Amino acid sequence: MITPRRLIAAVAGAILLSSCASDAPQDTWKPAGENAQMIHDLQWPIFMVAGIVGVIVLAFIAWIVVKFRDRGQAMPEQTHGKAWLEYLFIAIPAVILTTIAIPTVGVVMALADTDDTECIINVTGQQWWWEYDYPVAADGTICGFTPSVAEASPIITSGQVVIPTGTKVLLRGTSRDVIHSYWIPRLNGKRDMVPGRVHYLRLQSDTPGIYAGQCTEFCGLSHANMRMETIALEPADFQRWLDNELEPYTAPDEGTLAAEGEATYIAQCARCHQVNGLVDDRGTDDPSDDSLVVSYPDQFVYSGAAPNLTNLMGRNTFAGATYDLLTDECRADVWEADPSEFGDRYLEGVTEDCLNEIELREWLRNSPAKKPMYADPEMLSETDGKTRGMPYLALSEDQIDQLIAYLLERK
Amino acid sequence: MFTTGSKLLIGSSALALVATLLFGILDGGLLGSVGLISATVALSVLAGINVFTRDANVGSDEVESFGGAAAASNRPGASMWPFTIGLAATTITLGLVTYTAIFVLGLILLMAGLAEWLVQAWAERASAETGHNSEVRARMLHPAEMPAGAAIGLGVVIYAFSRVMLGLPSKTSTIVAFSVVASIVLAIGSFIGSRRSISAPAMTGGFAIAAVVLVSGGAVAGLNGEREIEEHNTTAYYAAKGECGAEEISADEHASQTVAGKASSAAEIFLTETGTIEFQMPGDPSRRSDALQLPRSNPNNLLMRNESSEPRRFVIDLAEGYEGSPPRMCTQIIEEGGVQLLTVKFAVPSFAPEVEAVGGYRFTVPGVDSASLEVVVP
Repeated sequence: MITPRRLIAAVAGAILLSSCASDAPQDTWKPAGENAQMIHDLQWPIFMVAGIVGVIVLAFIAWIVVKFRDRGQAMPEQTHGKAWLEYLFIAIPAVILTTIAIPTVGVVMALADTDDTECIINVTGQQWWWEYDYPVAADGTICGFTPSVAEASPIITSGQVVIPTGTKVLLRGTSRDVIHSYWIPRLNGKRDMVPGRVHYLRLQSDTPGIYAGQCTEFCGLSHANMRMETIALEPADFQRWLDNELEPYTAPDEGTLAAEGEATYIAQCARCHQVNGLVDDRGTDDPSDDSLVVSYPDQFVYSGAAPNLTNLMGRNTFAGATYDLLTDECRADVWEADPSEFGDRYLEGVTEDCLNEIELREWLRNSPAKKPMYADPEMLSETDGKTRGMPYLALSEDQIDQLIAYLLERK
Repeated sequence: MFTTGSKLLIGSSALALVATLLFGILDGGLLGSVGLISATVALSVLAGINVFTRDANVGSDEVESFGGAAAASNRPGASMWPFTIGLAATTITLGLVTYTAIFVLGLILLMAGLAEWLVQAWAERASAETGHNSEVRARMLHPAEMPAGAAIGLGVVIYAFSRVMLGLPSKTSTIVAFSVVASIVLAIGSFIGSRRSISAPAMTGGFAIAAVVLVSGGAVAGLNGEREIEEHNTTAYYAAKGECGAEEISADEHASQTVAGKASSAAEIFLTETGTIEFQMPGDPSRRSDALQLPRSNPNNLLMRNESSEPRRFVIDLAEGYEGSPPRMCTQIIEEGGVQLLTVKFAVPSFAPEVEAVGGYRFTVPGVDSASLEVVVP
C-alpha cells in the first residue's frame, strides 16, 4: 500500500538517484573551461550555504510542527513584536547575501571581460538552429590561426561551433527572428540573443571533446529541438579543420549518382541552402561568372537564412543539431574518444559506413514531420507565405538517393 | 418540479448546446465555436443557480406560502437597466451600419446591463429585508462594478486631460498648464489633508466641479482638434526610404526607437580626419580599415561617426530587387563630430554576381574620394 511516507521516500529517492546520471552531457557541475570553472567555484559554496540554511529552516519548522501540535491544550498567550529577534532575522540574511554578493559581482565582471579575447566567432540564432561565421582578421588570420590559402574568406557553418582548446573565444551573438538563448553548460552560463542587439559570450575549453548545449529561451514550436554543440580541438587539429573548411569546391565525378545529386540539389535545395563555390552547368567556377549558384533564403524562409551546407559531412549533426549524422556506434566512437585521439576521430567527418542514413532520409522525405516547423500553409499567413524552418519538398526516393550521395561528398 | 425561470434557462442551455454542435459540425469556425461553448456553459451555470434558488420564490402552486413569502412582500424598485439595454440595442444597431467599435461597445453595454438586471431582480426577492437584499446585490456586483467603474473613470480623465494638453497652442503652454494643474491638485490635497474633518457634500461638490471642468474642457479641446505637431522621423526612417540626395533632411537623432540600436550596435564606422573610413567591432578594441564582415539577412545596427571637419554622409549601394534591400541606403548629413544610426540588411552575400557587378558592398562618402570601406557578407 502506498502511504504518504513511502511516496515521499520514493520521490526523494528518485531525485537523489537522478543526480547520479552518468550520461549527462549538459551537466553544469562538470566544468570544462575557465569560464564554467569560475561559475562552478561560485555556485558550489552558494549552493552549500543555501542547502544548510534550507535544512536548518526545514528542521526548525518540523520541530515546531511536532512539538506544538494540537493535543487539546489551551491556547497559549499570544504576543507580538520582539525587537532584538526581528533585527537578528534582518541581520543574518543581510550578512549572508552580502557575503554572496561580493564574489558574485566579481565573477559577473570577470565573465563580461572581453579584453583578453584570442578568437572571435559570430553566432546568429534563428528558428530553430544556430549559424556560426568566423570573421577574417585584419592580418588575414581566422580565430588567431593563419589559413593555408592566400586570401581566406569567412567560414560559415551551423549546428556545431569548432574552437581551439586553451583559447579564449568570444562569441558575438544576435538573432534573426525571435529571442533565443545560448547555453553550453560545461563551458559558460547562458546568454540571450536578441534581434537587433549584439551580445557577448566567452567560451574556453581546456580539453578536446564535444560539449552539448540547448537553446534556453522559448522560441517557438521546435524550441526543444534547437540544440548546439561546441567542438574543442587541439590547435593543430583546429588548423586542419580550418584549412579543410577553406578548400575550394570539388564537383562530383561526372556520371555518378553524386553528380545527379548535384543537379537535384541545385533544383530543389539551392534556393535556400548555400554551398560555396557551387556552379551550375552553364559556366565555370569563376566567382564573377553568373553561373555561380547563390541561395536566396530571405525570399522563402521567415528568418531569411538556411544552414550553409558547404561542408555538411564535416560536422556530425543536422537539422539544428537535433539529429546525428553518425550512427549510434560511430557517434559513440567520437563522443567517447580519448582526448588525444578526439581530433582525428572528429575530423574524419561522416563516412558512408557511419552515415545515419535512416534519419537523414526521413528528414529529406518530410522534414516538418521530423521536426515541428509550421508546415501548415494556413499558419503561414503571418509570414507572407515564408516557412519557419524547412518545408516539405515532396522529393522522390530517387532524388533522396541522389542527394545523399552528393551530400556525402560535402566535407 | 422546475420553476418557470429554471425552465427558461435549461431550455436556453439546451438550445445553445444544439447550436454549438450544429455550428461545430457544419461550419467548424474556431471563434464561433468558442462563443457558443461559452454561451452554453454560462447558461448552464445560470440554470443551475436558478434551480438551486428556485427563482428565489416559492412554487406557484403553494397557495398558502405564496402570499406570505418573503420574496413576495416587497415590490421591485426602480431600475435603470431596462433603459441601459434599450440603449445597448440602439448602439448595436448603429454599430452594424457604422463602425465595428460602436457595435462592440453596444455588445459590452448589453452584457453589462443584462448581468446587472438579472442580479438586481434576483437580489430584490432574496429576502423580506430590503437592507439585506441590497447587501446581497452589492456583494455580488461590487467586485465587478468597482474596477470597471474605476477604469472607465480613469479612462475619461486621461482622455479628457490628453485632449486639453494636445489642444493647447504650444509645447511650452502644455508644460505651464500641467504645472499649474498639478500645483492646484497638490494644494487642494494638502488643504484636505490638513483638515481634521471635511463634509461629504463639500468633497462631492468639489470633485463634481472638477469632473465637469475636465470633461467639458476635454470635449471643447477635442472638438477644436490637436495643435500642429512637427514630425520628427528618425535617421533610420530616411535611410530606409533611400533619400540620399544632397539636400539636408532634419532627422531626429534622439528618437527613442534608436536607443536600443545605439546601445548594442554591430559595428561603429568612422570617417576619419584624413578622409578614410575605419571600423571597430564589439569585442575587438582595434580600429581597422580592411573589410567589415556583417551577417546576411539580419538588420545590422551601425553607428556612423563623422570625425572629419565637414558635414558628411555615408552611402552604401546594395543589390537591387531583393526584399528588405533598397538599392541604396545612406545616413543623413552628419555634423562634424556627430553620430547617426544606420540599420542595414543585406539580402544576398557579397559573392553573388549581382553584388560583384556593382563592385561589392562598400561604404563611401560623397565628396571624399579616399573614403571607401568594403563590407563582406558571407
